[in-house]
Amino acid sequence: MTVPPRSLTILIAALGGEGGGVLADWLMSAAHACDFPAQATSIPGVAQRTGATTYYLEIFPAARAALGGREPVMALTPSPGNVDVMVASELIEAARAMQGGFVSPERTTLVASTHRIYATAEKMQMGDGRFDSGRVLDAARVLARKAVLFDMRQCAQDAGTVINAVLFGAMAGSGALPLPREACEAAVRERGKGTEASLKGFTAGFELARASAPPEPAAAGVPHGAQAYIDLGVARLRDYQGNAYAELYLQRLKALHADPQLLAEVARHLAVWMSYEDIIRVADLKTRASRFQRVRREVGARAGEPVIVIDYLKPGIEELASLLPPALGRRLIGWAAKRGKLDAYNVGLHVRTSGVLGFLLVRGLAWLKPWRPYSHRYHEEQRRIERWLAAIREATPRSTALAIEIAACARLVKGYGETHRRGLASFAAIFDALVDHPPVADAAAQAAAIRRARDAALADPEGKSLSQDLGKPVVWLSKAP
Amino acid sequence: MERSFKEEVEQLRLGEGAIFRGEGILAVTKALLQSGVSYVGGYQGAPVSHLMDVLSDARDILDELGIHVETNASEAGAAAMLGASINYPVRGAVTFKSTVGTNVASDALSNLASAGVKGGALIVLGEDYGEGASIIQERSHAFAMKSQLWLLDPRPNLAKIVEMVEQGFELSEASNTPVMLELRIRACHVQGTFATRKNRAARYSKRAFLERPDFDFARISLPPATYAQEKHKIEVRWPAAVRFVRERHLNEVFAGKRSDVGIVCQGGLYNATIRALQQLGLADAFGATQVPIYCLNVTYPLVPEEIVAFCGGKRAVLIVEEGQPAYIEDAVLATLRRHAIEAVKVHGKDVLPMAGEYTGEAVVGGIARFLDCLQALQSITQPRNKARELLGAGLPARPPGFCTGCPERPVFAAMKLVEKDLGKYHVSADIGCHTFATLPPFEIGHTVLGYGLGLASNSAVHAMFGKRTVTIMGDGGFWHNGLTSGVANAVFNKGDGILLIMKNGYSAATGAQELPSSAQHSEHKAADMSIERALGGLGVKWMRTVHSYHVGEMRQTLKKAMTTPEAGLKVIIADGECQLERQRRLRPQVAAAIAQGRREVRVKYGVDEDTCTGDHSCIRLSGCPTLTVKDNPDPLRSDPVATVIEGCVGCGLCGENADAAVLCPSFYRAEIVQNPNAWDRFLARLRGLMHGTPVH
Repeated sequence: MTVPPRSLTILIAALGGEGGGVLADWLMSAAHACDFPAQATSIPGVAQRTGATTYYLEIFPAARAALGGREPVMALTPSPGNVDVMVASELIEAARAMQGGFVSPERTTLVASTHRIYATAEKMQMGDGRFDSGRVLDAARVLARKAVLFDMRQCAQDAGTVINAVLFGAMAGSGALPLPREACEAAVRERGKGTEASLKGFTAGFELARASAPPEPAAAGVPHGAQAYIDLGVARLRDYQGNAYAELYLQRLKALHADPQLLAEVARHLAVWMSYEDIIRVADLKTRASRFQRVRREVGARAGEPVIVIDYLKPGIEELASLLPPALGRRLIGWAAKRGKLDAYNVGLHVRTSGVLGFLLVRGLAWLKPWRPYSHRYHEEQRRIERWLAAIREATPRSTALAIEIAACARLVKGYGETHRRGLASFAAIFDALVDHPPVADAAAQAAAIRRARDAALADPEGKSLSQDLGKPVVWLSKAP
Repeated sequence: MERSFKEEVEQLRLGEGAIFRGEGILAVTKALLQSGVSYVGGYQGAPVSHLMDVLSDARDILDELGIHVETNASEAGAAAMLGASINYPVRGAVTFKSTVGTNVASDALSNLASAGVKGGALIVLGEDYGEGASIIQERSHAFAMKSQLWLLDPRPNLAKIVEMVEQGFELSEASNTPVMLELRIRACHVQGTFATRKNRAARYSKRAFLERPDFDFARISLPPATYAQEKHKIEVRWPAAVRFVRERHLNEVFAGKRSDVGIVCQGGLYNATIRALQQLGLADAFGATQVPIYCLNVTYPLVPEEIVAFCGGKRAVLIVEEGQPAYIEDAVLATLRRHAIEAVKVHGKDVLPMAGEYTGEAVVGGIARFLDCLQALQSITQPRNKARELLGAGLPARPPGFCTGCPERPVFAAMKLVEKDLGKYHVSADIGCHTFATLPPFEIGHTVLGYGLGLASNSAVHAMFGKRTVTIMGDGGFWHNGLTSGVANAVFNKGDGILLIMKNGYSAATGAQELPSSAQHSEHKAADMSIERALGGLGVKWMRTVHSYHVGEMRQTLKKAMTTPEAGLKVIIADGECQLERQRRLRPQVAAAIAQGRREVRVKYGVDEDTCTGDHSCIRLSGCPTLTVKDNPDPLRSDPVATVIEGCVGCGLCGENADAAVLCPSFYRAEIVQNPNAWDRFLARLRGLMHGTPVH
């Protein structure tokens, strides 16, 4: 038997709590069973606290007996361009490995799960801060000698096990390991904890990796295009406030005479804006039968297990004012805003919405729906909507692109309480500075400025970026005493 | 404890010629037993936390050998314990992380090194340097030089590490000097094999007592003895050590046919050096090399004769020495000059990185530059450049953070809210899991000065502000140093700041080891040492204990502490058990209860996707791994909505935040009744009837 020239190198990138250490142990046992010299290292440290970490293994694919007492010298750190099997338990970790040079077209089999676990930096953004998964998948297919990519977390959940078992199976199934399947399965058995589920996960991973083309992640069937949005909008507003309100929506859109792209953008935002989340809407959504079913599903309740749902509501002056007639509501808000008391009198309610009394309380609020058109909030929102639509109508003849940018500003107005106030302030500041009194006459430049300001408004919750961009402060916070 | 070694420690009993399979740290423990130690101790900290855990789990075996085991209260305590070897012929070993642990220990280490030892004294240093490190980046080498302690840096395979532990004790005794053995992070965790020898019971131990105290003024750190001790170090101990290293061939020369060049490397970097040569086609898989290598398993003291013999006659040598300053490179240069060997060009930091870990890539780059074969590096750079081009910028980093359900997270949420109420304020951070608060989304904490030193580091800052400042400290830091350097110091100097103590019950960041104030104590530790009583004893008057998860109450208490006219140190104890440990304890209990058919209520939080508007304020106030985002199910909206994924332990922070910060009404708490009783089922049916009511 000829002695191979070098060790097989395996780098595993995982997150804390995914069983990366156990995976390394399995590989070591399997290598040991084959009498292959092997070594594993890791850098657990504080990385085990939810951070990204790596495990590095080397296996010399020749039985010790054939080596005549010679010991291979194995490295403790991976080298770029020198990794045979790159394993990533999550898609961005695969990207990180590629960025580090650990995936090379000559050598590397990349085994990676396609699911995402978002990093804090991605999920804390006010808009959408998620990294584009498509870019990672494309890069993986170009850079790896062979890429085995599928949603291994899903496989693990289906098998009732942890992702490490599926990863192990996928590694073995990829054909990149010098270890026979039996040795791998024996290693899982030897460890003896949750063996059956682990082996099930292993098999699932093995089979999918062996299949010539693992299933592509299905593209979500999202409807788009103006007509699809209009249909959705009509249905939503009918549900929100009846046929007449839906009719108002259509009237507003009709006045636009827009090109399809602008119409789609306005149809989408207008429907969302017109179905603004007031206390009546929230109460309505929280007490639907479909909601209780969804909660059961989300929390994984089994048949026959009662689920008690407690909602955290904290209505205050704004919520009260929103229900009052316009004149009264305006005065109350004005009074509270002047004294910095907008958030001073909120009442924290932990409502058992699933219980009889809690349900009746919340349902009772939902039954206020017929009153809505007479409320202060309704008047305020319709006024803002009209102002927004007028600006769009005005801009359309000048430039469709500009009109689209103005329409997209509706995205800033969302949320509740202070979040909502902040959104309104950003919206108003952008309108004031760039729509009503544009500093430039050129429509393209104006559109670009609006886009930039909108991104700035979503860059930080303190409004620092937007203030900087507009050159003046955006104020909505009550000052600290 | 986070990790149990109950099964692995059985290998510590292996006898002559058996094969040990396992982690580096466990191999070191076995080597200590083979060396006949009388006592062991240390202080937890990555990467040697596991060594302390192994010692705890191996108490039975150590008891059989009469070995005294101590979980020292700090590294200073551990180093001071080595004082047993000053007067008595007993071998002892302690472990801690370096360089922060070595810093804390250095007072005792200096005195120990000056007095010298009769019995072998070994310090196992977990070198927390490079990728995966959690501390400031410095070298342990400087400690060896300043105190004249010998420093071992073995080749990173288990057989060599074990051999160097054994040789280390002999070196220590032959030269009357304490010896440090440094193990890098990956070497601590390396899995491998070695042939064992049988354990040795020490001549003196818990089972075989010393006969009488031994007094010798020459070993006291007081002049004039100290003058003699310094001379003794240089005139007697140093030459003895150099002689021992030479005679035992502790450093190794690996011959190669390229006699014009050579590589001098630290033992710990030998494998990286061989791998680099292999990548350049200059070595095979078994370490047979074309370029001669002088491998320093002992990096201090160096052996001038060996350096001269290796370098003499060569055109150039490369020093592969990790970290800075380049002590070894400088020493080699000086040695060659002193021996009038001028022809050898000495390379090192000119071709290798000055600072940072010597990863495989760093070493191969340096050696390629040294041997002028840079074209061999293309296979490294090409895939990386291509990846950068394909992926573009903005790959999100994933630093470690608070665990799901961590009791410290709500405290920082409360601090964020106080910031909103009273404006920004200075926060002195400390070492521990809570240091993660300096990262997004909290970004709380202006300085970190060392373990338990948060409060002390705040004393001048506090004086410079017109309003009160806050110090964060963990219970680990409190017992390590904070009680004296922090609290006593602040009370003594009439400090007026606020100290927030995170009482999670364990040394959580290092793997949940027990602390003096831990609630559950193993039989080897004293129970009932309380932080509150210690504070009271020191004269702290303003003291409040708040349940960690009560965000609103914590916010009020902090505001009170900020504004109260009462002078003096104000201490708030945030009381909440480490959730990792809590879950580790509860999970089996709950599983057993459910299996027995007992009624159990499981709590999970969630977000209503149709009322969430995708602003993510909740995430900015939490950062919980299970509170994340998902595609908006509403086709009319584009921003992702918040969602609570699997793994939520129902700690309650989501609800507390929603309430305290008036976030939004989307959060709900679900109580799932497992094994419901008849009453539960009746209520569920009643409610079910109602939930179907139509909207209009």
